[in-house]
Amino acid sequence: MKRGRGPETAAAVGENRVSIDPVFAAAGGISLVAALGVVSLRSPVHAAISMLVAFLGLAVVYLRLGAPFLAAIHVLVYTGAILVLFLFVIMMLNLKPDELGVEYPLKTRALIALLCGGLFALLALPLWQDNRSLETPTPPGFGGVETVGTALFNDYALAFELISVLIMVAVFGGVLLAKRKL
Amino acid sequence: MINHYLVLSAALFAIGTFGVLARRNLLIILMSVEIMLNGVNVALLAFARTFGSTHGQVFVLMVMGVAAAEVSIGLAILIAVFRNRKTVDTGDLKSLQG
Repeated sequence: MKRGRGPETAAAVGENRVSIDPVFAAAGGISLVAALGVVSLRSPVHAAISMLVAFLGLAVVYLRLGAPFLAAIHVLVYTGAILVLFLFVIMMLNLKPDELGVEYPLKTRALIALLCGGLFALLALPLWQDNRSLETPTPPGFGGVETVGTALFNDYALAFELISVLIMVAVFGGVLLAKRKL
Repeated sequence: MINHYLVLSAALFAIGTFGVLARRNLLIILMSVEIMLNGVNVALLAFARTFGSTHGQVFVLMVMGVAAAEVSIGLAILIAVFRNRKTVDTGDLKSLQG
């Protein structure tokens, strides 16, 4: 469906800066700060807890984007499975503070931070020009279990089967790698 | 406006890239990859909402499946490495350096 981007686009540019969704601003800000915590905290446990906060904030962002089913799946998969797996491995390794390894010197990290800032600018500057509205009408049931499931099992049945093969291979690989001897 | 969501997505991706490049703890590197994947998911959902199409949401489900598989394999490799080398520091893993 082509969207008309004629005279109303100019008006949209004018009110671009003023209308920021407060719920999105709060949740997105929290998840950004928590993501910074993940990459900067030294202790893996602290980083994992920070990642929990980031994921919960992102679940709220998903809800604002009209995807309640995916927000629920996100909380289930990421905080329920992946984060628990991380915490389980952290507990199993039981790293002492001197076993955490040495980080790169501050100068190297500052250089990498600069490069990543450049990457952010490169990605964000063109994306900032995109002023399409999120208030467009959606089909009924958008983002619910029924519509996502219908699309998944009709148009994307092959991809669904391939994901199941991938997860099965991951299960075999995990068992093979983690087992001391078969 | 969609651009707020897209800039959040770009910021998460850049933060994850920083974590992968600048940290040497394997656990943190895996967590940073998760942050990057989530940044991409935000962009996919924002576009799905703008175009009113469910296809982007299905793709986010695929990304979540891949992320789950990737984390389970990554952590299994990490456990195997720690068992053999007693370290999680990527700077100590140099046996392929020649």
